[in-house]
Amino acid sequence: MPSPDLLALAVTLKMAALTTVILLLIGTPLAWFLAKMTSRFKVIIEAIVALPLVLPPTVLGFYLLIAFSPQHLPGQIWQQATGQQLAFSFSAIVIGSVLYSLPFVVQPLQKAFEQLGDSVLEAGAMLGAGPIDRFFTIVLPLTKASFITAASLGFAHTVGEFGVILMIGGNIPGETRVLSIALFDHVEAFDYAKAHVLAISLLIGSMILLAGVYLLNLPHRKTRK
Amino acid sequence: MTILSLDFSLSYQAFNFKINQTLNLTGITGVFGHSGSGKSTLLRAIAGLEKNITGAIIFNDKTLTDTTKNLCQKPEQRNISLVFQDSRLFTHLTVRDNLKYAAKRCTNSQLNIADILKLTELEALADANVVELSSGQKQRVALARALLTEPKLLLLDEPLSALDQASKTKLLSLIVKVQQQLSLPILYVSHSLDELQQVCDNLLILSQGKAINYGNIHYTIHQLNFMSAHLPSERLIHQQTSLSLPIASTDNGQGLMVLTLAEQKILLPSLPGTFIKNQHLRCFILASDISICLSEPQNSTIVNHLSGNINAIESSTTDKATHSVLITVICSGQEFFVHISTFSQQKLALCINQQVYLQFKAGAVRTYLY
Repeated sequence: MPSPDLLALAVTLKMAALTTVILLLIGTPLAWFLAKMTSRFKVIIEAIVALPLVLPPTVLGFYLLIAFSPQHLPGQIWQQATGQQLAFSFSAIVIGSVLYSLPFVVQPLQKAFEQLGDSVLEAGAMLGAGPIDRFFTIVLPLTKASFITAASLGFAHTVGEFGVILMIGGNIPGETRVLSIALFDHVEAFDYAKAHVLAISLLIGSMILLAGVYLLNLPHRKTRK
Repeated sequence: MTILSLDFSLSYQAFNFKINQTLNLTGITGVFGHSGSGKSTLLRAIAGLEKNITGAIIFNDKTLTDTTKNLCQKPEQRNISLVFQDSRLFTHLTVRDNLKYAAKRCTNSQLNIADILKLTELEALADANVVELSSGQKQRVALARALLTEPKLLLLDEPLSALDQASKTKLLSLIVKVQQQLSLPILYVSHSLDELQQVCDNLLILSQGKAINYGNIHYTIHQLNFMSAHLPSERLIHQQTSLSLPIASTDNGQGLMVLTLAEQKILLPSLPGTFIKNQHLRCFILASDISICLSEPQNSTIVNHLSGNINAIESSTTDKATHSVLITVICSGQEFFVHISTFSQQKLALCINQQVYLQFKAGAVRTYLY
């Protein structure tokens, strides 16, 4: 049986990795849609996407807790489909993380798509490339750095979340007990030595990840052979 | 014969474009107009990049767009390629990979990359990064890339506008060479009449979102002379005589090239290109560079003097204060346009059918390509 903290690390990484994958799958078309949208409803969708940036995590967690409960429709549908309760499950914290980290993925991608503009896409169409072809052969390679930034920020922000998980996940070891919650437990139990280990690990890990992102986004210097 | 039938309209907030014109696309067809005349809009509509058009575009019996039938073929399916003013190369790919991108998506595959690299003189740059190229090199890559899609129609949107003079003449010669070798119909948009005069067989003139003239290049330019004479405020072009004449001699021993105009000769400074005898040379003479004499000039440094008869005298119908007239003189069957002051016209008492001599310097006979 691994130590409880290692188990929490495993849950955290699994949650963050799964969340990042889902965010890229949902966030890419959403960011594309927002970048190309000209309707005035664009600002409303943008505001909704940006909401988790300013909202206290407990507010989001509170509403999700209610929605996920078996008394309410989303929770009922989930329970009928899977036979499991949604609240206080691993699935619940992944759904919560996706909503909570959405702006960190959508915003850099939207900005990259807006900057890329239509001109290279028109050039692609003139060479016989259809929309899906253009996305994978022109958009993706030219906005690669933004995709890496978006994925890294989404991942790092998910690792660092606390409030939403506390509200909807509880504290079940191996299921919903992530590092930030384990740290909170150690502090509550006055086990400062263990708390220090977790705190410094999260600090250094996040620092390295963010430094990597900023390094990637440095203005390009010309590299010559 | 390639036929492009255009009958559509398009509106933005402050701009309305409307055209109903059938073009016979032989060789290079020029599209001329000032900024905001709708030249780029026309090309984009043909390419399928303008979404909001109303009407129909038919290319060789193939309907590209017909809004009455709710039909609009996607740009990538039209088999028409467009070379943009700003190249729009893919910066994440090398020159060769940019060309491969086009070749890979071409269903016909008659041309290969090596041949096109050779034709566009890009062999030495094949593995270069596109961001390191000069504007002229970028446009050659863009042209090569467009050719590799093996289009049925090639659209060029101001391809020379970002280039310096040396690169302009080089690319323009290349466009002529490509057109001849691949016998590909080309629609060439430019705001520079000098460029178009050199390479186009036919010319379409756009002004304020409408087609105002279409036909043989020389004929259309001469029509524009009259329009500019009647409406000096719009000043579409510098009034000029557009010529295509056979070369009698590339150098008469004194650095002058000799062109034949029936029994008369026109001299101009020898050009650096290689020419064969009797090859036609495109050139133009500005109406302000020609003067009129009543008797044949004998003691003048001006080398060209042609005998002819006055055919028309046009003055502005709207603006009487311009104090100038456009005189058409027929010399050996060829129209020449002369722009002189009303003062000079009255001093010499010039009138229709009068025999006169035109004189102009060798240097006034201009070409753009050489």
